[in-house]
Amino acid sequence: MKCDLAQQNIALAAYGEISDEANHQLEQHLLECEACRRDMQAMRGLKTTMALYPVEDPSPAMLAQARRRLEEALDNLPHGKWLVRMSQLLARGVGRLRAAPVMASLLLMAGLGAGGYGGYRAGLKAHDAEQSKLILNLGQPPAAAEDNPAQIANVSNITRDASTGTVKVNYNKLVPETMQGTVDDPRIRQLLLLGTQNSVNAGVRDNSVDLLANECRNGRECDDGPIRNALMVALRYDKNANVRMKALEGLQPYIAEDTRVRDAVLETLMKDSDPRVRSQAINLIEPVEGDSSVREVLHTVAAQDDDAQIRTVSRQVLQQLPQIQ
Amino acid sequence: MPADALRIPVPTTANAHPESRAIQSSQRMLTDVRDRTTETELIREAQQGSRAAFDLLVRQYDQAVLRLALHLTGSEQDAQDIHQEAFLKAYRYLGNFRFECSFYTWIYRIVTNLCLDQLRRRKSRREDPAVMIDASGEEMDLLSNVSDERAGANPDRELQRKILGQKIQAALETLTPRERMVFELKHYQGLKLRTIGEMLNTTEETAKNTLFRATRKLRAHLAEMR
Repeated sequence: MKCDLAQQNIALAAYGEISDEANHQLEQHLLECEACRRDMQAMRGLKTTMALYPVEDPSPAMLAQARRRLEEALDNLPHGKWLVRMSQLLARGVGRLRAAPVMASLLLMAGLGAGGYGGYRAGLKAHDAEQSKLILNLGQPPAAAEDNPAQIANVSNITRDASTGTVKVNYNKLVPETMQGTVDDPRIRQLLLLGTQNSVNAGVRDNSVDLLANECRNGRECDDGPIRNALMVALRYDKNANVRMKALEGLQPYIAEDTRVRDAVLETLMKDSDPRVRSQAINLIEPVEGDSSVREVLHTVAAQDDDAQIRTVSRQVLQQLPQIQ
Repeated sequence: MPADALRIPVPTTANAHPESRAIQSSQRMLTDVRDRTTETELIREAQQGSRAAFDLLVRQYDQAVLRLALHLTGSEQDAQDIHQEAFLKAYRYLGNFRFECSFYTWIYRIVTNLCLDQLRRRKSRREDPAVMIDASGEEMDLLSNVSDERAGANPDRELQRKILGQKIQAALETLTPRERMVFELKHYQGLKLRTIGEMLNTTEETAKNTLFRATRKLRAHLAEMR
């Protein structure tokens, strides 16, 4: 390090404004440079000397007088007050104008959303009608069912043989089916996994997640596979709080061993919109040695959660953590 | 950082139990969050025209503003003028405050600009620098207010302190207004150079160079006077 740079760093170091690395280099330089050591002494001397011209608090009388003067000046702004209001209104108006493109985009998005939702509802209605027709036709003999256009989902291809005059039509059928079995049956499990993704019927999701969560709680076939993943997806994204609650309970045995599960539960503790789910997350979470994220999240929740009860419980859990660990 | 400079720190001990430290830390976090929320609400109310909210904001900062202006200008009258003008400006332009920086930085930016103007005017008028003027226009000796609390303090030593104090004031007056401001905010107000850069609309690097120049000048002038 050269003396020019060292002397600049001496001034900055006196005020705690250099990095640790620069400080180390400076110390090395000072060991071998007499001139810079003298400079360091002089800088310390300056700081000591300047302390003889201290910052004084304004006297109470002066503070009171300053406040009185300001009060009067603010009170004597009749014309100014009007101007102030106008300028503030203008400023807010400019702010609104700046926000106009954002508002337009929001309106557009709201329109698209409403349109999409309307279309979705109409489609749903049509689908339900179609489904009810299919269900009504279930009991009919196959021959009759084949003739019934209600069971035909769509026509995929048509070819015509000109020589014989026959027409060949390829079509797909929608046929509702039922399967029965225990939860251990892989096919039933596969259907339950599909059931967790049913975006139309919350009841189906609820039942699917409940059954899978039970399997996990009982330690059956839940080792790092699709069931655990499905429960984590349900915990993070399901719109229904009851479904999320059941997914959370199903994941509880794996919080300690699986960091992905732990992250999902901590995320729930931080972000879930339902206080009951957040409360349950606190109850189920276990401290994990060597992982400070649990403690950090609990600190954050204890400080920032909207719900007073949750803040209190987090603080209580935090107090117990050292004993448990 | 800036707003913390005005808050009363919660005392902690090095040997505190980790558990109690964690609780203190979360309590402090809670208090900070509450303070910030309260201040934000006050600012919003004041922006909507509430004079009471603005008065509460003034009360949070006016003592610090007055202390800075008094130390920089050395005149009670000038300090009160700066105090008044700063808060009138804040009242006038509060609608433009968009929470892009802390309110502390915003109000200090107004105050430092007014102080810089005052220091520049004084430079151009070449006023006597080493004398403090009180509100009634009388000269006053700032250092006479600094008592030596040690029992049996030596009168010669007191005299030396006063003389040295006047020399310090004279040395400070040799700085350019900007150097004086950076030195004041760093040495006496203890702000970070990054914050000082923000307040003075410049970079941290420039603030560092300005502080270095100020210390060199002060050392040179104080050495000459010895």
